[in-house]
Amino acid sequence: MICGVSNAAIRRYQSRFLITMLSYMVFLFAAVWAFPRYHPTGALAYLLAILPALPIIGGIVVVGLYLAEEKDEFQRSVLVQAMIWGIGATLSLTTAWGFLEVFKLAPHIELYLVFPLFCVLTGIASAILKARYR
Amino acid sequence: MKNRLRVLRAEREWSQADLAERLEVSRQTVNAIETGKFDPSLPLAFKLARLFETTIEAIFDDTPPAVGPTAFGR
Repeated sequence: MICGVSNAAIRRYQSRFLITMLSYMVFLFAAVWAFPRYHPTGALAYLLAILPALPIIGGIVVVGLYLAEEKDEFQRSVLVQAMIWGIGATLSLTTAWGFLEVFKLAPHIELYLVFPLFCVLTGIASAILKARYR
Repeated sequence: MKNRLRVLRAEREWSQADLAERLEVSRQTVNAIETGKFDPSLPLAFKLARLFETTIEAIFDDTPPAVGPTAFGR
């Protein structure tokens, strides 16, 4: 989502993001591995199920930290604009898909796929915006 | 916004990258300001003015470009 130029804020973002992605893989593996084996119940089941979501939420915080730390106002502005386009496109698509589902015209899509969809759409918006500013 | 950055830069024989380094921003940022696609914040505009030892008004021109008679004008 953030690429093209390199400064201290971006390098910090990249190392933090790498940590969240590695924890995501570990947590996801742990949840998928433990659930069918131990059949957890109650609070433990909820905790285990939500485990893979935590690094993703961490990733959102990491992007927020980057925006707070990035000193280059133009780079900040491009990312904020890209994210606004990403939010608009994600909400439009998921809302439309939701109604298609209601009328049984589309298969069910898992909610955890909304965030990767947002990342892809924000990435596309970012590339278009950068090309326009060139 | 229209500006004289390219001229000011040429007078000092600075590349966009040179100016970017002095302003502590990316080259893309200098390019976006120079081409009038991105208006800098007041702090960055002051930084530019100080760097070129001039005023913000001497760098940026906020008067709308003269485009001849419009559909509404006479």
